Amino acid sequence: MIFAELTISETAIIGLFVATIQFATLLFLAGLGETISERAGVLNLGVEGMMAIGAVFGFIGAVESGSPWIGLLVGMIAGGVIALLHATAAVALGADQVVSGLALTMLGLGLADFIGDDYTSDPRRALFAEVDIPGLSDIRFVGDVLFSASPVTYLAIVFGIAAWFVLNRTSIGLGLRAVGQSASTADAAGHSVVGMRMGAVVVGGALAGMSGAYLSTFVVGAWSVGVTAGRGWIAVALVIFGAWRPGRVAAGALLFGFTLALQSRLQPFGVSFSPILVSMLPYLLTVAVLIVISIRARNQPSPSPAGLGIAYRREER
Amino acid sequence: MKRLVLARRERPTRGGQPVAFLFGLVFALIGGALLLTISGDPVFDTYERMWDRSFGSFDTISATFNRAVPLALVGLAVSIAATMGLWNIGAEGQILFGATAATFVGRLFPDLPGPILIIAMLLAAALGGALWAFGPGLARAEIGVSEIITTLMLNEVALRLIIYLQTTKWKDPDGFGFPQITARPEQAKLGTIWERAHLGVLVALAVIAAFAWFMNRSVWGYELKIAGSSPKTATYAGISMRRKVIGVMALSGAVAGFAGGIELSGSAVRLSENISNGFGFAGIIVAALALMRPSGVAVVALAFSALQVGGLSIQTLGVSSAVSTILQALILFGAIGAAVLSTYQIRLIERKVTA
Repeated sequence: MIFAELTISETAIIGLFVATIQFATLLFLAGLGETISERAGVLNLGVEGMMAIGAVFGFIGAVESGSPWIGLLVGMIAGGVIALLHATAAVALGADQVVSGLALTMLGLGLADFIGDDYTSDPRRALFAEVDIPGLSDIRFVGDVLFSASPVTYLAIVFGIAAWFVLNRTSIGLGLRAVGQSASTADAAGHSVVGMRMGAVVVGGALAGMSGAYLSTFVVGAWSVGVTAGRGWIAVALVIFGAWRPGRVAAGALLFGFTLALQSRLQPFGVSFSPILVSMLPYLLTVAVLIVISIRARNQPSPSPAGLGIAYRREER
Repeated sequence: MKRLVLARRERPTRGGQPVAFLFGLVFALIGGALLLTISGDPVFDTYERMWDRSFGSFDTISATFNRAVPLALVGLAVSIAATMGLWNIGAEGQILFGATAATFVGRLFPDLPGPILIIAMLLAAALGGALWAFGPGLARAEIGVSEIITTLMLNEVALRLIIYLQTTKWKDPDGFGFPQITARPEQAKLGTIWERAHLGVLVALAVIAAFAWFMNRSVWGYELKIAGSSPKTATYAGISMRRKVIGVMALSGAVAGFAGGIELSGSAVRLSENISNGFGFAGIIVAALALMRPSGVAVVALAFSALQVGGLSIQTLGVSSAVSTILQALILFGAIGAAVLSTYQIRLIERKVTA
């Protein structure tokens, strides 16, 4: 009897951590994209909309081609294309980043709803399969959680390392950070402010789109209106939580992913705590972290890019 | 080598924002027509139905007025914050928490006579909204935390608070197990003034007029203008920036919360997580299109309301109501383009090559 109970709880614990890795992947991809955009000085509040676009195009691409990989690619392209609208309005034309980003969320959610109308209860599926890493996936508990994930999780890790490398170890990354810190200085140094910023926003959109496609080709596995469920806003929060650094964003993704997983996987543990109250945690944590950062910022420089949110027009500097 | 640049015009072209808004509207309608055509939906029938169901008769016009109320109030709330250069992205949460506070009062005094109960509930709604925005204002004023993110985060918290109440403390005992909150007292319903239009329409107009008067005629409004346009001047003049930031955020939240109270007593029967209905976000776009001016907010809110009311009606034609959301967002992007082109022009210039 006791043994049987133990097995059940181990399955439940594994289930909780498998879900944590899934949600962390989802949040990390979108959060990494927003990090790149914000490091270049552009706040994009359109993540939720870009994610929805990625989800609908990812699903359509996957079921029509029969391959989730095609779906992932289509979702990325769609996310990048719709981000171009924010890049044009907020960077090239210098419109307010907050307003343009919110309009992008509105447009993305509306377009996804419109385009996905015929696919809402589509029974077809083209899903990613878990990939077992030979040798490692057999390790008890750890193997199931870390080495038997979807290929997108491994890809997200590769992307994260690549983004860290490009940002911190290459001249393109240096230019991008310079553009985000002080656009006029970067301009004087010969960097194309508009080009860099637009590029960063589009890359950010592609990653948000990829995150959405991952949602509809693996985590949920289908398209429906509202499938993004506010997770795009968590990705925005994640960037601040992670102090605009890919490594810390990844750590934050694991923590926030855990709270998302708790909501759906709390029941097997017989805990009476409301999953809804747990779901408030990522947002409250972000506010708490912001407050701590700001108090500490009195003594040390803020981790936020100095030029974040400020439009740049050469003749007005 | 030649390239495109944005060059400032010697003087902005005439017309300004109204023209930009109309340009945005045309841009959106063309964009929407393209989408409808691609998906094989009837363009003309769709637009005709939207017009008919929003401005076609007195009955539909009055419904459009009703829906313009929360949009205009949120637009005003966003404009109030903008006087100090602040962004209130949290109207969605302030509407929800305002309506929650009003529901609390309704549950506390379910037997009060209608008018008194309505006033008490609306006051509670404004207070609730103010409270929800006070924290972000305080954090911004005291330690410089970005109010954009804090207000945004609190939206999600307010939403989940209502879902929590729905399934626990405030669950309707007569809801057949369905997770819904008990209906608000019947007598707390706003009376109608014309066709379907309720009293909230007049109240919203009064609030907008009062704010416009307040900004232009009161000492506090004058100080706000100085503080918003030049913080240094304000500090020299002995105006406390900290108190202005906190006060403006709380006032902004109060107006948004008030909108939640009006929705609860005007259009809804009970508190639910859908009561904010995206007004909090659409209202930001309304305020941006109106350049944060109260009179403009009222006009743009009416146009957005028509799009939303019309959007709900096209489902019977087999067209997705998402068209309405798309049109609202496209108006903004179109207007951004037009506004920029009225102050700038695109020029093809020779790229200077330095050796």
